[in-house]
Order: sequence, then structure tokens, then C-alpha cells
Amino acid sequence: MAARPVVSVFGLNGSKLDATVPLPSVFTAPIRPDLVQFVHKNMAKNHRQPYAVKQQAGEETSAESWGTGRAVARIPRVAGSGTHRAGQAAFGNMTRGGRMFAPNKVWRKWHIRTNTNQKRYAAASAVAATGVTALVSGRGHRINKIDEVPLVVTAEAESLKKTKEAVQLLKALNAYADVAKVSNTRSIRAGRGKMRNRRHRQRRGPLVVYAQDNGITHAFRNLPGVELVDVTRLNLLQLAPGGHLGRFVIWTQPAFEALNNVFGSQTEASEQKKGYTLPSAVISNPDVTRLISSNEIQAVVRPAGPAYTKRPFTQKKNPLRNTQILVRLNPYAQVLRRAEMLGKNKRTTKKMHKKSATGKFLEILKAD
Amino acid sequence: RKHAQKAAADKAAAKSAARLQNRKKRQVIFKRAEQYVNEYRQTERAEVRLRRQAKKAGNFYVPAQPKLAFVIRTKGINKIPPKPRKVLQLLRLLQINNGVFIRLTYATTQMLQIITPYAAWGTPNLKTVKELVYKRGYAKINKQRLPISDNSIIEENLGKYGIICVEDLVHEIYTVGPNFKAANNFLWPFKLSNPTGGWARRKVRHFIEGGDVGNREDKINALVRRMN
Repeated sequence: MAARPVVSVFGLNGSKLDATVPLPSVFTAPIRPDLVQFVHKNMAKNHRQPYAVKQQAGEETSAESWGTGRAVARIPRVAGSGTHRAGQAAFGNMTRGGRMFAPNKVWRKWHIRTNTNQKRYAAASAVAATGVTALVSGRGHRINKIDEVPLVVTAEAESLKKTKEAVQLLKALNAYADVAKVSNTRSIRAGRGKMRNRRHRQRRGPLVVYAQDNGITHAFRNLPGVELVDVTRLNLLQLAPGGHLGRFVIWTQPAFEALNNVFGSQTEASEQKKGYTLPSAVISNPDVTRLISSNEIQAVVRPAGPAYTKRPFTQKKNPLRNTQILVRLNPYAQVLRRAEMLGKNKRTTKKMHKKSATGKFLEILKAD
Repeated sequence: RKHAQKAAADKAAAKSAARLQNRKKRQVIFKRAEQYVNEYRQTERAEVRLRRQAKKAGNFYVPAQPKLAFVIRTKGINKIPPKPRKVLQLLRLLQINNGVFIRLTYATTQMLQIITPYAAWGTPNLKTVKELVYKRGYAKINKQRLPISDNSIIEENLGKYGIICVEDLVHEIYTVGPNFKAANNFLWPFKLSNPTGGWARRKVRHFIEGGDVGNREDKINALVRRMN
């Protein structure tokens, strides 16, 4: 990219400041929803806690099958007497109180390793996606009123200490609608999670990215849905929640400028990620329609076929019955047919000249 | 746009050139068909003339041995012993009521003897050959069974033998010409219907015994007429 587009910085009162920041190279990284989904899926599994049934569940009996000849199914049955449990089926996954099929084990592989380069690519994609208004609003953030995306705030925001001030800032930026959305969508979870310390659910609000925490964390942390993160520790699970690109991010100016160090560019290695350069797109000009209609390509393209192609020969017609087809195959047949018809006509006319039975014949015929 | 225009102009020029070519071909085909009609008439009359001549002189006219046979498989798929099975396969009679043309030689006559209980055969006349090719003629093109819808199909495949139309093909088959093998192999085995009016009471017996199998010489024409 020759000329870097420039992003304006907003002050604490929401007005545009004179200072501007050139757009970091991350925002030109290819946006790969498929990769982000893949990496997110893997990363999301990493904070799982193991679950399993008790090791001896369903096997704490000395049940044995009664065998045949006792008018009962051959499933193992609990030995003994004097209680309901005696004679009940045990051990099978289909029995009541039996062991489940393939009991869960804690040594299931809960965490998934992803290649570092893939993780970085996904993070870069996710950051790039935060710069696309369509994606951010498509993800569901209320950003109709904000002035610019990416949204960059002065460094003074990092020194905010009071939540009141934070709310003031957000309102000045017209970003409070997104926070309001979160509190409006706070509801009780459906399902058993309710009683498992996951009672409430709510949407996600803006992500505030800072370079130095001089109080900003304390100011914003109590706002519902707002998340804070240091620019050197950007998390894909926050940048693309649910694997969906386009989180609404509010950058502070130092954080925005630091992105170049964090990710580097397509040509320059990153300072934070050793030896890492941003990925380049497979196709540099994504406007495929324009490419196809360009002169260079049209010059070598073969001419287009007709819009509707007629199906070739679909029905075999019998030449012995269909004269057209016969003549198509044998042009001389026309001559033969014509001669035949003429011959026939001649014969019929001849017949008309034939006399009817003569008198003498009739006499003899009627004699008997 | 310029390219599209140029392409359209090229196409139009090619079309008119093709039309001219086609017209020329049609003329050739017409002439050939005419020539064949005369040829057939001549050979027929020649036969008659020779018979009459011989009768007049008190001699015997011995007609030439037939060169062409038409064989129809009358037995189904099951319970065929290995040798006749192989012969039926070699003759491309793989299905019941399949028919093929065969050049009669000592060797092929022996093959027909082997498959006597499973096939009916005889010497077809011109009308039989024509009707079979016109109505039930399918070509073997690139291992596919394609209908002979146009002379171009024949020309593209048999052009190198000088066979460019259906009439050429019929002529080659009927007169068992020098390229009979190519022409015959080009034709997919004919799939005939069961005869209207039915088979003989006991199809499996020899034609001579009142059945249907074996050599029935020129009576094959009547059978094909009913099966076509």
C-alpha cells in the first residue's frame, strides 16, 4: 500500500482532534472467516474443565446373569434377597442403575493445540475485521451513530479513573448504545446452567484496547459487556467472539500506534512476535468482476457461447415412417417416393378404365 | 465488445462455408444412392436372367453361395454351455433377440453350427438390411450406443473407408464390400422386439422341426419383418 489511509483521533469530549494516525498494516491483512472459525473453535476448547462420571458408577454390584431357563432376560442381575434391588438388572448401559455406555474419562483430550502461525493469522484477520463497518454492525454492535471505524481515542482515556467519566466518554463518542444493548439483553439462561453458576446471559459490548493501564481498567470494568485488553495481549476469543468477525473495538491512540509493533507489516517483521510478518492475500485485487471485464483478460478470452443452448438430438425418429428424416438420411429417397406415388396414381386411373363384368359372364353366374 | 463482434463475424463466415460444404456432400450422397438403386436392380435382374438362360439351355444355374447372414439370438442368458457361450459373445449376441450381420465363410459357418440351438439365422434380402439399419440402426461411437440421426455421424467415423451416408453403409453390408468388417462393427448389435404373431409352438427346436432355431435361409426375412 503506497499511501496509508489516516484515522482521526477523538478527544474525551467526543470531538475530532487534529492529530491523526496512519492505519496500521494489520488492517490490510486478509480477512479469513474460515480460518478464524477454525482457530476460535480450537482456542475456545482450552478453558474447558474436565467432567466425567464416577469411575465405579454402575459397577458396584456383584451381579451375575441367571442364565436361561428362568423366564427372564439374560442380563446380569443383582444377587441376594430381601430388598427391591435383588434380582434387578445391572451392569448394562440399558439397565436402570447400570453403567453408562463408554463412561466419560477425565483423560479425554480437552485442549487443542493450534499452530502458532494460524493463531497469529486469525488474530490479524480479526483485527482487520474490526476496521470494517459492515462486519462490525453485522456482528450486532450498535454503531450507527459513531463517527469512524476504527474508533481511536486520545491517550488521556488511559488515565480515566471513574466509571462516570467512562460513561461520559462513551456517550460523547455515541458508543454508549452498544453498552445499553448489553444491559437490555441481560436475561436468565435457559436450561440447567441456571443452577450451575451461569445464571445470566447478556450480549458482548465494546472491547477497549489500551497500551498502558493508568486507571482505564478501573473506569471501564464495571460497565456491562465492556472488556478491556492490553494491545500486546490481544485475544482472538475477544476479537471474534463465537468465531464471528467484527467486534466493536475502541482503541486508545498509543494502543493503535503500537499495533505496528505487535503485528509488523507484510514486509517488516513484528517486534513483539519474533520473525513474524503479516500474511499477504492470495489475490491482491479482490474485485473479481472488474478483473474479468478488464481489457487484458477480455483480449484472450474465447467468445461466449449462446445464452441458451439447444439440446442436441433428443429423439430418434423412425425413417421408415417419417419422410423428413428419411430424406435427411437419404436424399434420393424423395425421388423414389415421388415415383412411387405417381405410379400408384397411374394404377388407380387405369383401374377406372377397366370395364365391369360383361353380360355373358353374368348369365353364367346367375344360371344356378 | 470488439472481440465479441469479431467472433460473431467469424461464426457467420464459418456457417456459410459449412452450408456450402453440406450442399456439395448432399449432391454426392444423392448420386451414390441413385447409383446403388440401379446397381441393386441390375444384380437382381441379372440373377433372373441367368436362371432363365440356364433353363432355356436345359442347364442348371448354380447361384453363388450367400456372403451375408443375419443371426438372431433366440435363447436367454442362462444355461448356455461354455463353448456356445463364447461363440455367442464373439458374435456380439449378448442378449436375447439381438441380431447381427455376419460375413459367411467356412469359419463363421462352423461358428453358427456351434450356436444352432441358441440362434436363428438366414440370408437377409435388401429390404431387411435397409429396414434394420434405418429403424434399428445405432452406431458404436467411443463405446457409446448412439442413434444414427444424421449422415455426419457415419461420415466422421467411416469416412476413411469411403462410407459417408446410410445408403453407403447399407450397400457395404448388403454386398459385403471390402470394408464390411469396419462397417458391421460400427453398427451396434440390433435389439429386436419379440415377433408379432409369436414364435413357433416350440421355439427351441430347429426350424426344420417346426421350431425357430438354426438356419432358415431366406425365411429369416419374414421373421425380421415381424421382429423389427
